[in-house]
Amino acid sequence: MTSLAVKSLWARKVRALTTTLAVVIGVAFVAGTYILTDTTFAAFDEIFEDSLAKTSVVIGARDEVEQESGEVPSFGAAVLHRVKRVQGVRAAAGIINTPGGFFDSRGKPIGSRFAPKLIGSNRPPALESITYIEGHKPRDASQASIDEGAAEEAGLELGDTIRLASVERAKSFRLVGIVRLGDASFGGASIAGLTLSEAQRITGKEGEFDQIWVAALDGVSGAELKRRVERVAPPGLLVETAEQNAERNSNQIRDNLGFLRIALLVFAFVALLVGAFLIFNTFSITVAQRVSEFGMLRTLGAGRGQILTSVVVEALLVGLIGALLGLACGFAIAKGLNALFVAVGIDLPTTSLVLKTRTVVVALAIGIGVTLVSSFVPALRSTRVPPIAALQALEVPRSRRRGIAYAALASLLSVAGLAMVLVGLFGGANSGAAAGLMGGGTVAVILGVSLFSPRLVRPLASLAGLPLQRLRGLTGRLARENTQRNPSRTAVTATALMIGLALVAFVTVFAAGIKGSIATAVDDSFQGELVLRNSNGFSPISPGAAAAAREAPGVEIVSTLRATQAKLLGGDGGKPRVSALDRDAGSVLTIDWTEGGPETLRNFADREVILDKSFADGNGFELGDRVRFLTQIGRRPSLRVVGEFEDKADLLGSAVVTHGVMARQFDQRDDLLDFVKLAPGASIDAVQARLTRVIDRDFPTAEVMNQEELKQSQEDQVNQLLGLIYALLALAILVSLFGIANTLALSIHERTREIGMLRAIGMSRRQVRTMVRYEAVITALIGAILGMVLGVVFAALIAQPLKDDGFTLSYPVVTLIMLLVFAAVAGVVAAIGPARRASRLDVLDALHYE
Amino acid sequence: MSSADGQVVRAAGVSRRYGEGEAAVDALVGISTEFERGRFTAIMGPSGSGKSTLLHILAGLDQPTSGTVVLDGEEITGLDDGELTKLRRDKLGFVFQFFNLLPVLTAEENLVLPLSIAGRKPDREWLEQLIRTVGLEDRRTHRPSELSGGQQQRVAIARAMVSKPAVVFADEPTGNLDSKASADVLRLLRQAVDEFGQTVIMVTHDPAGAAHADRLITLRDGGLVHDAVPGSTDEVIELMKQID
Repeated sequence: MTSLAVKSLWARKVRALTTTLAVVIGVAFVAGTYILTDTTFAAFDEIFEDSLAKTSVVIGARDEVEQESGEVPSFGAAVLHRVKRVQGVRAAAGIINTPGGFFDSRGKPIGSRFAPKLIGSNRPPALESITYIEGHKPRDASQASIDEGAAEEAGLELGDTIRLASVERAKSFRLVGIVRLGDASFGGASIAGLTLSEAQRITGKEGEFDQIWVAALDGVSGAELKRRVERVAPPGLLVETAEQNAERNSNQIRDNLGFLRIALLVFAFVALLVGAFLIFNTFSITVAQRVSEFGMLRTLGAGRGQILTSVVVEALLVGLIGALLGLACGFAIAKGLNALFVAVGIDLPTTSLVLKTRTVVVALAIGIGVTLVSSFVPALRSTRVPPIAALQALEVPRSRRRGIAYAALASLLSVAGLAMVLVGLFGGANSGAAAGLMGGGTVAVILGVSLFSPRLVRPLASLAGLPLQRLRGLTGRLARENTQRNPSRTAVTATALMIGLALVAFVTVFAAGIKGSIATAVDDSFQGELVLRNSNGFSPISPGAAAAAREAPGVEIVSTLRATQAKLLGGDGGKPRVSALDRDAGSVLTIDWTEGGPETLRNFADREVILDKSFADGNGFELGDRVRFLTQIGRRPSLRVVGEFEDKADLLGSAVVTHGVMARQFDQRDDLLDFVKLAPGASIDAVQARLTRVIDRDFPTAEVMNQEELKQSQEDQVNQLLGLIYALLALAILVSLFGIANTLALSIHERTREIGMLRAIGMSRRQVRTMVRYEAVITALIGAILGMVLGVVFAALIAQPLKDDGFTLSYPVVTLIMLLVFAAVAGVVAAIGPARRASRLDVLDALHYE
Repeated sequence: MSSADGQVVRAAGVSRRYGEGEAAVDALVGISTEFERGRFTAIMGPSGSGKSTLLHILAGLDQPTSGTVVLDGEEITGLDDGELTKLRRDKLGFVFQFFNLLPVLTAEENLVLPLSIAGRKPDREWLEQLIRTVGLEDRRTHRPSELSGGQQQRVAIARAMVSKPAVVFADEPTGNLDSKASADVLRLLRQAVDEFGQTVIMVTHDPAGAAHADRLITLRDGGLVHDAVPGSTDEVIELMKQID
C-alpha cells in the first residue's frame, strides 16, 4: 500500500507539485522568519561582543526606565580617575556613544532612515576593538572616521567631507579613517568616530560619558575587577562585566525586536492556513476521482485500513517533501524578507544566515502536521468507498444528516469565533490573552464561514457570473454553471483566497480609518502653522533647532514638546509616556480640557502635573491628588494633579509636566516636536523656506513641515506599513491562487470528455480557454466578495472600542473595488495553465477519455 | 460540384497507420468510397476493423496517414484547428455513444448549444419542429440528469441537426441504450433522413441499427469488404457472421 501511495503520487506529478508547493510556501515563510530573526539577533550579539573584545568591565548610568527609543542617560566624568586607580586596571576610558545624524558634503543623509547613526569617541589602544582598514583615528576636532559599510554605501573616501549632527550645530569633518568592527554587517546603522572631547562637545555631553570601559591586567578576572570597581562607583552607576553588558544588550534587542518575529509568524500562519485549505481540497478531489480505483482495491481484498494507509502515506510524503523544500526555500525567504524591510527603511544588521536545530524541527513538524491534518478528512472518506464502486461511477456518499451537522458546526464556529473576538476586544483581558482570543476567534470564524460557504456559492457565483454572462454569453454562462456544479469544492477554493483578501480588506479599511483620524487630529489640535521634528519621525531633535527658529523673522512663537517614558509608582509596571510643554503651548495646540483650562497651563508650576483623562480614570487620580513617577535616572518626583485633558491624537501621552521638571527629574533635554506659530501677516511658504535653510544647515536631523506635509508624512508612514503588510500577505494569496489553479486543473481533468464534445460541436480553442478563465474569475470573485465582507465587518467591529480615541472608520470604496478587479485578474492568471491544457486537448482523445 | 452529383463525402485512398516500425498497426488500408446526400449509411465491422477510425477521419476528428477526404466540396484533410472548428460549426453534427450532454444546461439549451457556441440565433420554427420531432415538448427545461438515456440521446440527435449540417456522424448511438430506446433513436435517425433530407453516417455494432440504413458498409482489417443495401436485421446478422 505504501508503494501504491508513492506510485499514485508519481503518476500525478503536476498535482503533487502544486500541493507540495502549498506546503513549501508556508513552511518556507516560517523557516525564513526564524532564519532571519536568528540571524539578526546573532548579528547584534556579534556586534556587542566584538565591540567589547578587549574590555573586561563596563560602567554606565543605571537605567531605571528602559526607553523604547533605546536612549540611555549619561553621567559625570569625574568618576573616571577613581576607576583608573583601582588595582588590576590595565586601562580605563570614558566613551561617548550617542545617536546623531550623518550627512555627506551635499547634505544627503548617510545610512537608512530608521537605523541608528552613532557618534562614538576614540578609545585608547588597550580598549580599542575597531580596526582601521584605511587611514588613522581622528587626531583633532576637525577629523572623523566612519565604518566601511557606510563609506561604501555613500561612496566616501579618505579626505572627503562628512557632516555630523547631534545636539550642537552640525559640523563638517574631514574623513581620516575607515573602520571595521567584526564580521557582521551593520545593516542601515553606522558609526562615526571623533576625538573624545569633540564627541563630548557635539553631543552636548561636555564633562560627561555614556560609558566607561575598563580593561583588566592579566590574571585579573572580569568578575573580580567588577567587584573592585563597584566599591569606588557612586550608586547611580551600574558596573557590569563585558559579558553581562553584552548579554543585557542582547536580551534588550530580543525584547524590542521580538514583536517582529511574532508578526512575521502570524503572516506565515496565514499562508499555512491557506495552504491547508489547498491540501484539503486537492485530497478531497483526488479521493473522489479515485473512487473506482479504491473500489477495485476493495474487491481485490484491500481492507479499509489499507486504503486509509495509502492515502495517509501519500499525504505524509507530500508533507515531508514540502517541509524539506520549504526549509531550503526558507533561506531565500529570509533574504526576501530582509530586502522587504530594507525597502521600507528597516535595515537590520546581518551576518551569515543562522539555521538553528529548532528551525529545522519546527519546519518539519509544521509541514508534515499541516498536511496530515488537512488530508485527514478526505483520507477517512476514502475508507467509506464500497467495493461496488469499482463497477459504477459512484460518488462518495454524503448523507443528509451530515449536511445538517456541517451547518450546525459552521454556525457554532462562526458564533463562537465572533464571541471570542468580541471578548478579546472588550473583555479587558491583558494584551497577550486578548490577542490570542482575537486570533483564535478569527480562525474559528474563517473555518465557520468556509464550512457554510458551499451554500453561498450558488448565489455568489450567480452574482459574480452575471456580468460575464451578459458580456460573453455562453462561455460566461458555462463558466458560472461549472463553478456551481460542486459547490463545496468551489467554496473551499474560494475561501482560501478569502482568507488573504479578508486580511487585505481589513488592513485597508483600518488604515483608511487611521489616515482619516490623523488628518482630523492634526486639523483639530495644531494651531501652529509649522512643525519641526526629526525626519525619521520619532527621534528627538536638538533644542538648538527651536532656538534657531525663534530667531527667524516672521516667527512669533516656538513652543516645544519633550517626551520620555517613566514608571508610575504604585502603577501596573507599564511605562506611560510623560510630556513637557511650554506655558505658551495653548497658542499652538488645542487642548481638550476636561479639568482646568488654558490658564492651568499658563500658570503651570514645577510641582504640578496635568493628566490624560483615561490615564487618570484608569489609575483613580483626581484633581489635587499626588502622582509619583520613577524616572529614567532614578528620580521620584511627586506631582500634584492640576488638570485633565482628552487627547485623541495621543500627542501628549499620559501626563504633562513642566520643562524644568522634564530636564531635571526626567533627564530629557531634547525636543520631540517644536510647534511654530507665525507672526500675523507672515507668509507660511516664505518662513518655511527660510527656516528650512537654517535647519538643513545647522540641525539637519530635523525637518520643517507645514500642516499638510505633516499629515502627508503620517499618511505615508501608514501607507508604507500597509505596503509591507500587503507584501507579507502576498505569499498567502499566492498559495490560494495555486489552489484555484489546482482545483481548476482537477475539475477540467474530470470534464475531459465534456470538453471533447464541446470542441466536436464547434467550440473553438479560444472559447474553451475563455470558459476556463471565467470559471477561475468567478471562483476568485466569490473569494473576494466573502473576504471583503469579512474584512470590512471585522474592521468595523474592531473600530468600535477605538471610537472614544477619535478613531473614525472610513470605507475606501475605490480601493475595495480595485481589490475586486485584482481578484478577477488573479483568477485569470491562475487559469493560464489549466485553460491552456483544456484548449489543447485533442478532440478525439478527449471524447474517448474514460 | 459534388452536391450536383449527389455526393456529400468522398474518401479517396484513405489509410491510417498508428505507431511506427515493427509496432505499427494499419487501421485503414486505402479506403475509397463516396456517400450520397440525404442517405443513411451504416458502417459495421468486428472490433479492430477500423470502422471507428474511418468515421473519425471522415468527420475530421482524425487525420489519415495518406489519402484525402472531401466533405461538401471542401477537402478537410490537412485543415488546421481553426478551420476544423469552423467546419464543425457549419457542416458537421455529432451523436455520441454516451450522449455527452452538458449536465449544467437544460434539454433545450443543450439542443441549441452548437448555435450558442457559434454565436448564432436559432431559427424558432426549425427549433420547434425539431423538439416536436424528438418528442421533448414537455421536457425542454429538464436537466440531463432528469431525462432517461433514450431521451438524452434524442436531445443529442436534435442537437446534431440543429445547425442543418451537411452530415450527421453518429458513433454507436445505441451502444448505451436498451432495445426500446435504441429503436426510438434509430427511428428518429431514419426520420431525419426521410423528412429533412439529412445525411447520416453511423458506426454501429447493432444489426437492427444497420437494418434501418439505406446502405451498409462493412470493414475488416482496415479494408472495405462489403457495400450494399442492408436488408433485414436477420440478413445483417448473417452477413456479420460470414465476415467474422
